This record gives sequence, structure tokens and C-alpha cells, in this order.
Amino acid sequence: MPVTFTFGEWLSARSVIGSTLAELGGEYDNLWTITPEIGATLGEFRALYPDRFLDVGIAEQVSIGVAAGLAYEGNIPVVSGMLPFLSMRALEQIRSDVCYPNLPVKIIGTHGGLVGNGGSTHYAVEDLALMCALTNMTVTSIADPLMAGDILRQSMKMSGPIYIRLGVGKSDMVLYEPGQHDIQIGKGIVARDGYDATIFTHGTTVAQALEAAETLGALGHSIRVIDMFTLKPIDADLIERCAKETGGRFVVLEDHLAYGGLASRVADVLADRNIHLTAFERLGIPQVYAGFGGDEELRDKYGYGLTSTISAVMRALAAK
Amino acid sequence: MSTSISLSSEPKHTVAELEDLAYELREKLLYLCGTYEGAVHIGGDLSLADILTALYHYGLNIDPSDIANPNRDRFVLSKGHAAVCMYISMAMRGFFDFDEIVATYGQLGSAYGMHPCKVQLRGVEASTGSLGHGLPIAVGMAKSARQKGETHRVFCVLGDGETGEGSIWEAAMAARSSELGNLIAFVDRNHQLMTGFTEDRVVLEPYLGKWASFGWNTVSVDGHNMKDLVSIIDNLPSYDSTRPTVVICETVKGKGVDFMERNIAWHAGSLGAADLERAMAALESTRKVVSA
Repeated sequence: MPVTFTFGEWLSARSVIGSTLAELGGEYDNLWTITPEIGATLGEFRALYPDRFLDVGIAEQVSIGVAAGLAYEGNIPVVSGMLPFLSMRALEQIRSDVCYPNLPVKIIGTHGGLVGNGGSTHYAVEDLALMCALTNMTVTSIADPLMAGDILRQSMKMSGPIYIRLGVGKSDMVLYEPGQHDIQIGKGIVARDGYDATIFTHGTTVAQALEAAETLGALGHSIRVIDMFTLKPIDADLIERCAKETGGRFVVLEDHLAYGGLASRVADVLADRNIHLTAFERLGIPQVYAGFGGDEELRDKYGYGLTSTISAVMRALAAK
Repeated sequence: MSTSISLSSEPKHTVAELEDLAYELREKLLYLCGTYEGAVHIGGDLSLADILTALYHYGLNIDPSDIANPNRDRFVLSKGHAAVCMYISMAMRGFFDFDEIVATYGQLGSAYGMHPCKVQLRGVEASTGSLGHGLPIAVGMAKSARQKGETHRVFCVLGDGETGEGSIWEAAMAARSSELGNLIAFVDRNHQLMTGFTEDRVVLEPYLGKWASFGWNTVSVDGHNMKDLVSIIDNLPSYDSTRPTVVICETVKGKGVDFMERNIAWHAGSLGAADLERAMAALESTRKVVSA
């Protein structure tokens, strides 16, 4: 039985998804929602369109397999669940049943990163590495709950699959004024401009990166924060531009394994484009199975909390 | 009780005609196995030959000249390694050209390979190959048909060995829960895995009882008896009934070629020229027995 003890904390983030799905369900009569028994968010959709809702119970593999079958028949299935289970228990179904035939299945879920205090069975920390490896898959990680709705809406026009990662807890604060940024899948967001160094981040740690930049700004440092919410396809041009415009000083911060996620995606661009940096700091989860604790406590413990982020930027600024 | 919309591009065959078609399918399977230099999953193709003949030439409401017709029956080959049995059955039904299959099978750029790919081969309903995946996909298709009020059925062919995969039973529960009487599974119960016999590895019996306990209509049949297969197809529950149906087809792996039957060595293999002649002769002798 999946944990539900953090439900109240991420209710607001999920309610955006829930109401967006309910809206989209009216616009698209072929939109389905499917869940392996994590369907609270889908209550509104279910009430409006019960014939296009399916809860398969605790069965991630069949949730994806059924979505593939629905998509073969011209439907647009959205599978909603907890990412540690969808991304791993159903990985082969995602790869062979959805990505191989390039079907428009949307996988959206929570518990990306060390969030929710469920312990290591309930933290999705490898998911972005796994999803980025899949041909045809678009991979996103969303910080702002309103943006989650935007991305879901944009994804309706996609012909292939998309993975939408959400966190829980503090990450559901609204970071962007509606209309403030031109948000497009595949394009990074300049969440804060600056010229001394760039922090690349996504999802739950965007707010923390902005706070670090604010703190460093008060000390006279101009720090750019890129919300690289699309990990695949990666916005390589923006990475190249930031290298030029912020002194070749990069910090990559993420609530994911430090190797295999965004830091690795950025490093690939640097290698492929022969871009030489002055500093490259990666902050993320080390090779551990993390224990219990609050989201911030865990980030602090594993070296990618606010203090560590500020220190990493200072190191990058000092590099010669 | 409602009736499906007939696409009837082929008249209903008699049992004798279907038996001839199954014989021809086996000949063609052996021919491919003898001409292709790599291994063909010939054992599980031969066990399936009568079932696919009954489906493609009798049971399935399909039209090869109108492959996207929404009223067509859907067919998902969950035991994707029997792809050649499906390709050749479809060729005999008018979907593909058998000579092209033989000429290009497994070659670079060919749409015909060891496991079926919908993207590369039009007319195939789903990309399969990894075991345990087909039935969940078929459940999704049947669910879609229900929601849209469509009157076709979804047929899914499984191997008995692949029902060791837990995802099959997840799908079995989902199909029962969604009351998908428009879903029909045929299990090729040939009692063999790749390297041994099912009951020596994972005990499947009581097999029919397992499916029954999951709330499915169950029926057992000699999967090499065309008359009985036809009778079962004739008596399938209506598409708008509320329970999915599984037909447990008792079969023999390698059926029709004595040195392949129940022989672990012939899960997959390639026939040289001499063995091809031997296999054809063995097949021919079964026909004489049948017609005697």
C-alpha cells in the first residue's frame, strides 16, 4: 500500500493537475486517465468522465500496458501515480509498450527526489536517468504547480510519450507569475538572470536555487538560475549561451542522483560541443539509499541543501 | 445479444478447408525455417498453427484491404516469438506476400523479424516480443472499444510459459474488473518453456482453474482439432457480455514434425536442406494418417 501520509502537503500541486485534467477531458473526448490506485487527484475527472477513467489497483505494469492499448486505439492516456513505482516496476512496459511504438502516453507522478519521508522504497531518485535513456521519451521535471498544468496542456499536441515529474512539499509554491515566462517544452527558463555563474536545476530544488541566488546577490554576486525543466530534449543552446555569458561557471543542483540526471545531461552537451568551463559543480544525491527525514533535512544531510548550494557557487566563483 | 458488423472479405471456410490451410501454414513455416540461416521459433509456431489458422481464416472479422477499419477485430500476439506464424497466416489471408517474407525475413531493413513491430509492419496491431506484455495491451484495446461503443472483439494469443509473468495476471484481474466480455484469450498450452517443461519449472496446473478463479469464462480444447476450435469460435460469448473468455488450447510443441514434437532441441532452430526434406516428409506422413 503506497504511503499517503504526506498527502496534505502536495494536495495543492496535485489539484492543479486534477483540475487541468478535468478541463482537458472536456476538450478532448479521447483523453483517458489511468491510475494504479493513486487516484485522489483524478477525482474531478472521474466524476465528469467516468467512462474514461480506470483505476487498475496496485498494478503499475498493467496501468502502462492498458495505456498502450488505449493509445493504439487513438486515445490519449494519462497515467498518474507514484514515480518510484511507475518508473521502475513498469519501466519495461514504458520502454517496450509505449516508447518503442512511440505512443502518446503521458506519465505524470509525484515523489521525484528525496521527498515525502517514505524512505528509499518511496523516493524516485534514478527515474530521470532511466527515462532519459528511452528513445522517443520527452522528460520533464516541474517545480511550479501552475506550470505543471501548462506542460500537461502543451503535451496534448505531442505525438509521442512524455514523463512529467513532480515533487511534494515546498516545491508546490508558485514560482512564476502567470505569463512571466514563455514556457515551452524543450526550452529552459531563465528563472533569475545573472552574469557571474549559472545554477542549472529542475523540480523541487528550483526554489532553493533561487534562494541561494538571492543570498549571494546580497553579497554582490550576480547568479543566473536556469529552471531546466525539460531534461530531454535538453536545451543545448541555452547551456552554451550560459557558458559564454556567466564566465563558464556552472553549478548543477538536483533532487536526483548526482550522476545520471541533469548534471550528466549538461556534461554531455559540454563534451559534445567542446565547451570548456572554468568550474563545474554537481550537487545531487550520492550513491546512498537515503533514510527518513524532512525534505530539507535530507538535502542538507546529503550535501545538496541550501548551505551546500551557496558553498558550491562560491567555489565556482573562486575557481581560476 | 448484438451482432458485430461483418467485414466478410473471405467466405467462411469448412473445417476440411481450414485443415488444408493449417497444413499449408506448416509447410510454409518449415520452408522458412529451412531457408533462413538463423533460428526460427519453429516449435511454438507449429503448436500455434491450427489456432492461428482458425483465427485468421475463420474467427477474426478482418479485411486485408481495409486494415484500419474501426470495426475490425483486433489481434494481439502476446507470444511475440511466434511472429512468423502470424506473418505467414496473415500472408495466406491476403495481408502480405509470402515470397517477400521468405526473401527478406530477418534481413537488414525488413519489416519481418523475430518479433512483430507495428511501426515497421502495417497490419500488425501491437509491437510485442517481451513476454507478459500483450494481454495488458489487449485489455486497453478492449476497454477502448467498450467506451466507444464498438462491436468488435479483441483476440489475444498467449503462450502458456509466458503466463509465469505476473503482468498477465494483473491484466486478467483488470479485464474481469472492467467486465470485458469483448476480450478473448487463446493460450497455446504446449506445456514447454524454452529449456524444459512447464510443470517441471513452475507449476501451472490446475491451469483452467487458475483462470476460472480470476473470473474468466474458461474452456479447454484440443488445439489441434480444427472442428473443436471452430465450434468454440462459433460459440464465443457476445462482445457485449461481461466476462472475458480464455480458451486453453492443449497443444504439442513442434506439432506435425515427429522429430520436433515435445523435443526441447526444437524450441528454436534452423533446418538445413536435408533436415527440411526430412521435416516435410514427416509433415506429409501426418497428412496421410489424417486422410486415411
